[in-house]
Amino acid sequence: MEFWRIGEEVGRGKAVGALESELEEMENIFGVLVLGSFVGMPSPPMQISLDLMPHMEKELILMMEKVDTANEPISRLFSTFDIG
Amino acid sequence: MGKGGVGKSTSTALNALYLARKGYDVVIVSLDPAHNQADIFQKPLSNRAERVAPNLRVVEVDQDYWVKRYLKGIHDQINSTYRYLTSFNLEKYFKVIKHSPGLEEHALILAFEEAKRKFAKCDFLVFDMAPTAISLKFFSLPSLSLVWIDHLAALREEVIEKRELITKIKVMSKEIETDKVLSKIGELREQHTVLKERFQDSGKTKINLVLNPDELSLAESKRISAGLDEVGINVTEVVVNKDWQGACLDQIEEEFKGVPIFRIPWSSTPLVGEDALVQFLQEHQDRMEDQAQQIIGQ
Repeated sequence: MEFWRIGEEVGRGKAVGALESELEEMENIFGVLVLGSFVGMPSPPMQISLDLMPHMEKELILMMEKVDTANEPISRLFSTFDIG
Repeated sequence: MGKGGVGKSTSTALNALYLARKGYDVVIVSLDPAHNQADIFQKPLSNRAERVAPNLRVVEVDQDYWVKRYLKGIHDQINSTYRYLTSFNLEKYFKVIKHSPGLEEHALILAFEEAKRKFAKCDFLVFDMAPTAISLKFFSLPSLSLVWIDHLAALREEVIEKRELITKIKVMSKEIETDKVLSKIGELREQHTVLKERFQDSGKTKINLVLNPDELSLAESKRISAGLDEVGINVTEVVVNKDWQGACLDQIEEEFKGVPIFRIPWSSTPLVGEDALVQFLQEHQDRMEDQAQQIIGQ
């Protein structure tokens, strides 16, 4: 039974892997749209960005991580598709 | 509202003073960063309501104060909601952000809403607007914000849908956790919709377009009217200040057909100080009474 449980968990993890990557990208896009002015990109009226900012810590962290990994896009892509 | 120098502040002061002398409780709120009411009434004015005549108070909105107050509020919220980015240095960003395009008009919106709340019981709340550019941005800000809010809401809903799907697969139950960002977007949508509808409702917001009877003033007034029309706002009345016969009046009447036109005669003496204003009102009692009835009756 333990074998099946572990197998099921692995299966579920693989099934959502691509979905999670897609979700991360969408959250990143949202972060860029709202807070893009902090990283040099066009953004909504400033007061909308500021009004939403207190509730977007996660997106801000994600954007800052994206900046860190921007130098290694290929390794990140390989990681997403579980290559190598 | 109107082109700079046409007499928005003076016509505001005249109308407000006339209504106050009739016994109505009137408050003038100056949203023009280059305030003039203190010069007109020859009294020091501030961010607080100061009485300049019986039944008449004036507030000169301090735009910098409202920008700082707003940014401090955001800063305090971030400090209380962020758990990990406690060292994220916002101070340097806020020093630059306070000069950002858009914050000026947002500060005026905040001051406008505060005035509505604070002076809800007065009979007439009269806003002496900034010159054309800032005023048009002020009136179009709710509509512009709603365009962005709608797009952000749609994208956020897609994010939540994906998140719920992942949770359902992983945990095999659909946990519906309230998304604070979407809740806030909903709040903003409601606020901007209420404001937009208020501006568009000529029963609640009356826009007096002030101009002088000359070509330049008329040209800018046409642009103002067109700009307001783009966001669904109508000019309620045209005020021709420093009126003298024959100059451009036919063109004004043609351009603003169907809109009541109120003409304030040219004054050979400066309209500065309560005494000078009262004398002018007495000399042109009939016209001022017609104007007052127009305002009271609306």
